[in-house]
Amino acid sequence: MEFSNDSLKKVHELISHYPEGKQKSALLPILHIAQKEFDGWLDVPVMDYVASILNIEPIEVYEVATFYSMFNLKPVGKYVFEVCQTGPCMVKGSDDIISYIKEKLDISVGETTPDGLFTLKTVECLGACGYAPMMQLGKTYREHLSKEKVDAIIAECKN
Amino acid sequence: MSKKILLEKANVENIQTMEVYRREGGYRSLEKALKMAPNDIVEEVKRSGLRGRGGAGFPTGLKWSFLAKPEGVERYLVCNADESEPGTFKDRYLMEFLPHLLIEGMIVSSFAVGSNVSYIYIRGEYEWVTDILDAAIDEARKAGFLGKNILGSGFDCEIYIHRGAGAYICGEETGLLESLEGKRGLPRIKPPFPAVKGLWDCPTVVNNVETIASVVSIINEGGDAYARIGVGKSTGTKLISACGNINKPGVYEIDMTISVEEFIYSDEYCGGIANGKKLKACVPGGSSVPILPASLLLTTAKGEKRLMNYESLSDGGFATGSMMGSGGFEVLDEDQCIVRHTLSLARFYHHESCGQCSPCREGTGWMEKILQKIEHGKGEMKDIDLLWDIQRKIEGNTICPLGEAAAWPVAAAIRHFRDEFEWHILNPKECLVRNYGLGKYAEALITS
Ligand SMILES: Cc1cc2nc3c(=O)[nH]c(=O)nc-3n(C[C@H](O)[C@H](O)[C@H](O)COP(=O)(O)O)c2cc1C
Ligand code: SF4
Ligand code: FES
Repeated sequence: MEFSNDSLKKVHELISHYPEGKQKSALLPILHIAQKEFDGWLDVPVMDYVASILNIEPIEVYEVATFYSMFNLKPVGKYVFEVCQTGPCMVKGSDDIISYIKEKLDISVGETTPDGLFTLKTVECLGACGYAPMMQLGKTYREHLSKEKVDAIIAECKN
Repeated sequence: MSKKILLEKANVENIQTMEVYRREGGYRSLEKALKMAPNDIVEEVKRSGLRGRGGAGFPTGLKWSFLAKPEGVERYLVCNADESEPGTFKDRYLMEFLPHLLIEGMIVSSFAVGSNVSYIYIRGEYEWVTDILDAAIDEARKAGFLGKNILGSGFDCEIYIHRGAGAYICGEETGLLESLEGKRGLPRIKPPFPAVKGLWDCPTVVNNVETIASVVSIINEGGDAYARIGVGKSTGTKLISACGNINKPGVYEIDMTISVEEFIYSDEYCGGIANGKKLKACVPGGSSVPILPASLLLTTAKGEKRLMNYESLSDGGFATGSMMGSGGFEVLDEDQCIVRHTLSLARFYHHESCGQCSPCREGTGWMEKILQKIEHGKGEMKDIDLLWDIQRKIEGNTICPLGEAAAWPVAAAIRHFRDEFEWHILNPKECLVRNYGLGKYAEALITS
């Protein structure tokens, strides 16, 4: 297991952002890169590899990876729908959107479709409350969701 | 029209680029600041009356002057761009549309507090915003505003962005510092405060995005000019992110002299309640601040018009008032269920509790469970008192203020909407299919 050259360059650049001996600070940013590079989740060998790069104990990586909600500790689908369910989104109908996605994809929250394409997650406020209901899909925010928009997003992913 | 000093240029085409930002007068404050003594900048910020925009409203100049300055020890400025308080999305707006305003403010503030390496801790989900800021930092470095010997002043400064990974608690400043050190975001016991022992045990200032961006105008126009905007101890302008059942959700810059009524109903701001509905309640400063029924929101208990500023929003204390908080302004219409809304927030705080303190870890879970019960028609009258009791036992008994942040929304909901809770319990079948409606919470408005 190894990072691509590009990623490795980024990793070293990140480590250089912190003072000498404080390389552990780069852990979160590097885990983001690792998750992107290794299929969207952090398997134990991946975390051990990151620990070796930073010269820290594997346990220091595990405890961090399990603390933050953006790190996946089991495989996820190619597209992860992360739908916000907190107060301001709820007021604008996020519950209906979540039910609709469940029905369309025929999965429950936390599950992945059998074809490995979609995972549905509920998340807490993502800082888009004025554009609710919303979800995160990869790097993008999809806002002002409606059933039609959900249909279009699913179609877009399948294409 | 309110005076705009932060968002004035937000709509200028390509203002995200150095070229346009410079043409519009950008980085003037840096040129000016580098000719000043760092202490004079701190004094200028003190004179401005600027209060931290992250939620607590602590005077920024004062915070800077508390910074310990032992010889030979690095000092750090850390910008808090974690923005995860439900209802709050103003920092994102500022960074997305005016990245250079933040970077300019960061360099000036770094110079003032003597930080040669400064960090922006941004919530992990804002990945595309990180790209925008990275591009701005690159441009600033190319222009000679970052790096060694900036504009020949002898001052060196680098700014790095550090992405979080999804944890509300990393917005709390010591949780943030732990996270920046590559650990779990567990808040530290204070004292020592970050001003003495912060990032890697060095003296550190943590400031919100909007706070740092406001420094630009304070240096350009002077602290006195800034202090003349607004009223009383609410000087300058404030970004409000408005959401919920209103016609025009979005981010607005206000000068803190306008009334809550004007903010909600005028076309310049929220544009009134959506779908011709009536106003029922509002959480005026982010999910952690007390919810107010319409009747107490528009006028204070004394019958005065309530204004959109620190003093007026908190007038009456928690008995009849709320707080300015982070400026996350959530409006609820007559169709919204207070029990369900409170439950949603209780779930949020339970999910986000870091688990270090038993009152917070156990209390947040317990409150969520009881609210689930009431919301699903299985509540008992004694549950209301139990909820009250639990929230009281969290408050003041925890390491960090997340405990209070979880307790206050529940306390305020019971304080002001007790009959709605009782109705849920007395009408278990009905509450599953219909909302309580306006009740008596909006009398002031229905008659007007
Ligand atoms: C649970 C919790 C979450 C917080 N989240 C944020 C946040 O997302 N952004 C922020 O600027 N301040 C947040 N704060 C406040 C910070 O601890 C700190 O007071 C603030 O960043 C100081 O900056 P200021 O003085 O410029 O407001 C939070 C506080 C608590 C207790
Ligand atoms: S109050 Fe809650 S979030 Fe804060 S340190 Fe204690 S357990 Fe953690
Ligand atoms: S509540 Fe959903 S983005 Fe804030």
